[in-house]
Amino acid sequence: MENQEPSPEITPKALPLVEAIRAASKGGALVTQRTLEKEFPDLNVHALITESGVKDLKKMEGSSDVYYFSDLSMTEAYAVFMYRINEKDPVRLIAETVRDDSRIYPRPTPVATFREPPFSLSARDVEEALGRMTLRPDLEDIKRSSASNGALYLYSSQFLSEAQGDALTEWFEVGVRENP
Amino acid sequence: MQAFGYTGKILRVDLGTGKITTNDTLKYKDFIGGEGIAMKIMWDEVGPGIKPYDPANKIIFGTGPLCGTGAPCSGRTNITSLLPSSPFYGVASSHMGGYFATELKYAGWDMIVVEGKAASPVWLRIEDGKVKIEDARWMWGKGIFDTQAMVTSFMGSQAQVAAIGQAGENLVNLSVIRTGSSHSAGGHGGVMGSKNLKAIGVIGTGSVKIAADPKAWMELDKYMMSLIGANNQMVVPSHPQPWAEFNNPTSRWTGRKGLYWGAANPPVETGECNPHDMQSVGYRTQKAVFDLGPGAEKYTVRMGGCSHCPIRCHAQLKVPELERYGMDPYVANTCVGWSGPRGVMFKGYKPLAGKTAEETRVIANAVGTKLADDYGVWCNYAQLGRDIAYCYNKGVFKRVLSAEEYASIPWDMLLNGDPAFYFDFYDRVSNKKGEFSHIADGSYWIAQRWNLGDDYWNDKDNKLWTRGGYPVHHSNESGAQVGALISCFSNRDAQNHSHMNYIGSKLPLALQKEIAGEIFGSPDAYDAPSNYTPMNEYKARFVKWSLDRSLLHNSLTLCNWMWPMAVSPLKERKYRGDTSLEAKFYSLATGIKMSEAELDDAAARCFTLFRAITVRQMGTFDMRKEHDQTTKWVTAQEKAKDGSYMKQFTPGTIAMEEQDMQLGLTMVYKQFGWDEKTGAPTKAGLEKHGMADVAKDLASRGLLPA
Ligand code: SF4
Repeated sequence: MENQEPSPEITPKALPLVEAIRAASKGGALVTQRTLEKEFPDLNVHALITESGVKDLKKMEGSSDVYYFSDLSMTEAYAVFMYRINEKDPVRLIAETVRDDSRIYPRPTPVATFREPPFSLSARDVEEALGRMTLRPDLEDIKRSSASNGALYLYSSQFLSEAQGDALTEWFEVGVRENP
Repeated sequence: MQAFGYTGKILRVDLGTGKITTNDTLKYKDFIGGEGIAMKIMWDEVGPGIKPYDPANKIIFGTGPLCGTGAPCSGRTNITSLLPSSPFYGVASSHMGGYFATELKYAGWDMIVVEGKAASPVWLRIEDGKVKIEDARWMWGKGIFDTQAMVTSFMGSQAQVAAIGQAGENLVNLSVIRTGSSHSAGGHGGVMGSKNLKAIGVIGTGSVKIAADPKAWMELDKYMMSLIGANNQMVVPSHPQPWAEFNNPTSRWTGRKGLYWGAANPPVETGECNPHDMQSVGYRTQKAVFDLGPGAEKYTVRMGGCSHCPIRCHAQLKVPELERYGMDPYVANTCVGWSGPRGVMFKGYKPLAGKTAEETRVIANAVGTKLADDYGVWCNYAQLGRDIAYCYNKGVFKRVLSAEEYASIPWDMLLNGDPAFYFDFYDRVSNKKGEFSHIADGSYWIAQRWNLGDDYWNDKDNKLWTRGGYPVHHSNESGAQVGALISCFSNRDAQNHSHMNYIGSKLPLALQKEIAGEIFGSPDAYDAPSNYTPMNEYKARFVKWSLDRSLLHNSLTLCNWMWPMAVSPLKERKYRGDTSLEAKFYSLATGIKMSEAELDDAAARCFTLFRAITVRQMGTFDMRKEHDQTTKWVTAQEKAKDGSYMKQFTPGTIAMEEQDMQLGLTMVYKQFGWDEKTGAPTKAGLEKHGMADVAKDLASRGLLPA
């Protein structure tokens, strides 16, 4: 992990919360505020975590809950994936992941990715999400491209042109494997 | 004098006279080892006009000063000789991994130079300093698996064996030399066959001495191990992982929770493979699923590889269904070892009875790979399959085969995706049965023999990079002009991964550009994928660096499918690797202090000598015109999906531009100090590298540019 300012000493009250968040992150999971409140009904979870000043604890606001993770064993990038999965909104999960891929690498995203871990969406969920995406004007930038073997990819036209999206789809799906 | 890193001895075996002699390695040390020294020997001893199958040709099995030291990924053997599939029999190198190279070092030899031709089939038996030429008449005609078993039955199971199959014996141009169960050097099998040399068996009981304090060595080793990624130095996992900032579905870092070596007993989970956990490096690359698809997971026993390699990129499978074909169920390979035979069945596989498409892919591919490995057939980096497809689809076979021969080929099996086709195919090709078997002469030779013409060369799908018959191998799709130019200098497919081990890291573009800036002087050395810019000096530096490093690795000998370490998987290092590691290992191993720049310069000397040999062989110094030109499809505009043509330097195309490529060649020639007009080494350039003798020889033949 990157150099961080040392955290202040953890108070005995906050300690079980910190430990629970760190343990979950080690196992690759986020912890929600509601879960912590259930587990530690006597504690003011939100206040204790916020006031603890523990640097490795990070918070993400969800639509109906707050998520925590420790960046000692989980990167922010992975936490964001987990967040999107936990939010249970496949349309948003797919659209935001596709935009990130097109912006960062840049590359189109194979739809098959969402059937695999850590997303593991059902075929039906993926199909439905793709259908619903086409009806959303705010997701107009999410475009489809298909490779010569029929595999479907998505990319964001904010970051990749149609020609690039098509070329990279063919390359990632077919070319890479033909040119080991 | 005690040699460190090197054993200090080169073994020379003259099969014509039976004479066995020894040379001092260190007199060649300016050429580093392996491929570099082999180039020097080829220059000195194999003059122009000699053909690959002539007794006067030599075949050189080379290791380098890092082989056998324990440096990571240092178990490779470099094999240099004239290449039969090349139009002018250009000098070229092929490479194999496994355990042969280290065993040779432990036996006390840096290299083996084989010369002459035995009167009847022989094999070479090396037990430390004891070297004998043995009768191989009984082995002749056998496949490589049986040959290996026979040699080990004489020498014991510790023996490492390099052998040829029927293809090599019968002087098939596209044939391999193989060691272990899956390590093939493509292109030179026929040269061994032409010498009546069936196999080399070696047992070494010694060790390689290094100059450095062992503690310093271990520290460097540990540091290197912290920077290593997965196969091809991919430093990003294929799936999102808690420890990872990035991911890429095409990464070879496939190891993750829930992915197994499914046929191990009990199955082994590859697991999370956190980059800080050195003990899990060998689980990162689950290559079976990468090469053969998800159906391969349950057949995977483990990953295998070369000595002193923590990566293990060879998938070792148990495929019980092979027994249906009369084969034992064990099969192993990597990369084109799988995709080459798969390409032969260019219509794909039809699902076998009771098997899914994913299972069929593994079973059918395993049949092809096993046969190719036994007969010892080389796929010319998958070009063999494309050539079959081209000749079938364009009616060439119908035209050039007799009606009787055409009818004898089980085309229905090929067209119906039945892997039993492989049995007929590999037998025909390896035993040179009929006109069809010439398909394995190599692309240049079939183009001549069957009069294939411009259509063949300029067909984009056929992927032939030059009229020399060499296919694309990490060319313009890999860093645009960088890969494109790298592919112009070889006498075979470029087989260069120096650029790929950085370009293919799978890191985000912004990071890649930063790293390019640090190594090559400007982020402009590296373009966004499928959106490239005109040629610049930094790309030329990148090209030279890649060519130098590849030759360096083949000389040290390090695996160029891993090295150099331009990047790392470490966030705390901002994903930086360390490009000075080769020099550090070399200095510690040999006690000869060399900086990174000095070692690169030594590699440039070797590359320049390789170029000089090519000039001498071709009988012209106009390399630009006669050697370095690509086929036409490379610079033809590509079509977009809507049918319109994409202009070069616009997003979506990687078509090269003619003038830009010529400029690129000029810039690379300049980087090497060669003549900028012709691309030939100059007197001054050769003398700068201490090769005045080479300059003099070329001048005497009128082959030195003014
Ligand atoms: S990466 Fe693969 S080819 Fe290279 S040394 Fe390791 S096992 Fe051998």
